[in-house]
Amino acid sequence: MKRYSLWLIIAVLAVFSLFSAVSAVDSAAEAAAGQVSVTLVTLDPAVFIEGDTGTITVEVTNNGVQSVPLRRATMYDPDIRVLSNPYDTATSIGAGNKMTFVFTVKADVPEGIYYPVFSLDFRDAGYLRYPVKLQVQNDKLEISVVEKPDTFSAGKKDTVRIIVGNPRDNQVNGVIVYPGGQGLDIVPTSYFIGNINPDSSSGLSLSVTPYETTNLKIKVEYKNGINTHISEVTVPVVLGESKKQANPILSNIVVDLEGETYSVTGDVTNAGLEVANSVVVMAGEGVTPVDPYRKYVVGSLQPDDFSSFEITFQAENLESVPIVVTYKDVDGNLFEKTTAVDVPEFTPGAGKEGGIPLPIIGLIIVIAVVIGGVIWYSWRKRDGKSV
Amino acid sequence: MIHRISDMLFRPDTFFKEWSTGEGSLKIPAVIVLIGGIISAILGYLVSGIYAKMFVQGAGEGMASLLGIIGGVSAFFGFLIMWWVVLAGVFFILSRFFKGEGDFKRILEVVSFGLVPVIIGSLISLGLSLYYIPLVKVPVLKSFTDPVAVQTAMEKVLLDPAYKEFMLVTVLISVIFIFWGANIWIFGMKYARNLTLKNSALTVGIPVGIYVIYILVTAVFGISLFGGQ
Repeated sequence: MKRYSLWLIIAVLAVFSLFSAVSAVDSAAEAAAGQVSVTLVTLDPAVFIEGDTGTITVEVTNNGVQSVPLRRATMYDPDIRVLSNPYDTATSIGAGNKMTFVFTVKADVPEGIYYPVFSLDFRDAGYLRYPVKLQVQNDKLEISVVEKPDTFSAGKKDTVRIIVGNPRDNQVNGVIVYPGGQGLDIVPTSYFIGNINPDSSSGLSLSVTPYETTNLKIKVEYKNGINTHISEVTVPVVLGESKKQANPILSNIVVDLEGETYSVTGDVTNAGLEVANSVVVMAGEGVTPVDPYRKYVVGSLQPDDFSSFEITFQAENLESVPIVVTYKDVDGNLFEKTTAVDVPEFTPGAGKEGGIPLPIIGLIIVIAVVIGGVIWYSWRKRDGKSV
Repeated sequence: MIHRISDMLFRPDTFFKEWSTGEGSLKIPAVIVLIGGIISAILGYLVSGIYAKMFVQGAGEGMASLLGIIGGVSAFFGFLIMWWVVLAGVFFILSRFFKGEGDFKRILEVVSFGLVPVIIGSLISLGLSLYYIPLVKVPVLKSFTDPVAVQTAMEKVLLDPAYKEFMLVTVLISVIFIFWGANIWIFGMKYARNLTLKNSALTVGIPVGIYVIYILVTAVFGISLFGGQ
């Protein structure tokens, strides 16, 4: 009886020791898994735009002293679409090692903040769950026209200055400006800006030469991660008289006709606010310029400056002659202004040449003779005939 | 009436002898002088038109027309005052040196009768102006801010061949008809101021001679405006 009891005690102790061993093995695996943690999460782009495709990169580090076996790693969210799930196979993360998991996602969701969950399934010790913050923001790059002329002039180069601002919470890259429009010469045809940091801006000046009333379209193309986006703005280009442009005015005009040649003298004054370069005064169509002043080169006229001029030409049967003033702006654009000047009409054969016409001489002689006769007659017929 | 006019023009001695016996009236003299004034006004308007054309661009059509009207009105009153009142006054004063006697009113009548040939001469000048004035080349002024330019332009008109010839021809015609008028004034003054024919001729001849010399010199040699060369 005593021997039977002894064996029973030994058997009970053996069973207890077996259970203790199993329990000791489970505790060790969980302790090892507890040393695995998420040490870095990066998103590209950092902030998504609705519809953007990007990546979520999760870095996991095993800070323990023994390897931890893994069954799978997944990313899950009911709204964010996970396009790839390449970590379905079993593996392990060695002691002191790091492992990186990259998931491709598509944010077909409205603006907001989402939390897709990264899940790491340990083969012997449950799961590691880590929610990743993913922000969706639809703000686009802002294009601001900060400088443009009040009125454009046909053929005249003017400057349009723009600023491209980034109101987003993340940097955008590959920013390129494409200006365009029908009937416009624009320099530069495109402009590469590159990166624009959050709450930063980059400016550029466009030289615009319009030939008709049209619209200047400024398109800004940029990348948010791998996704291309476009911002656009339209600037109306309306042709008209510039408020500042040079304005040559003719005054003090004196027209003289010497023989068959007209001589027009006067002053040309720049009544505009910009300098007029290469000012030339000449007669317009319908007349024939002659020496000595076929054209009169005035040169440069500053605002409110004036200069005298003289031109000579021949014209027949005209009561008014166009006087043309040509000038250039600082960019070399040529402008023309015509002023009609009344002139005494010259008809070939008219005018007074030579001496007094014979009929008039004859008339004077006849009158003189007749009146002489009348006086003589009156003295002959006087009464008394005494002085 | 025609007979009396004929006598006045061709036999003034006979005419004024009869006239001196009457009381006289200023009605007919006034009509004669008014006709003369109107013809002078028309001629003045036409000649002013030459200068008006010069100012059309700078001063506008209105100002140019005003210049013509001023020219016409000046010529009208100039004729009335200078050719009638002033001339009669000159004759009155000169005749006093020759102990002339008679009313100033009678001298006014005599002067007006002598103006009939002058008016005929003015009519002929008016006809000639229609030929000459269109031939005058008029400089165009667009501004009056430069007085030198204005003076130069006006001098160019005075030196224009057609203008100079017109002035010469009208002066020659005027002189011839003034001689005829002076002939009438000589006989008229003889009876109006009871002068001898010699004294009457001196009374009329001195002012008329000075005037004729003056207008011939200005017509032949020209005059300078405002001190210009």
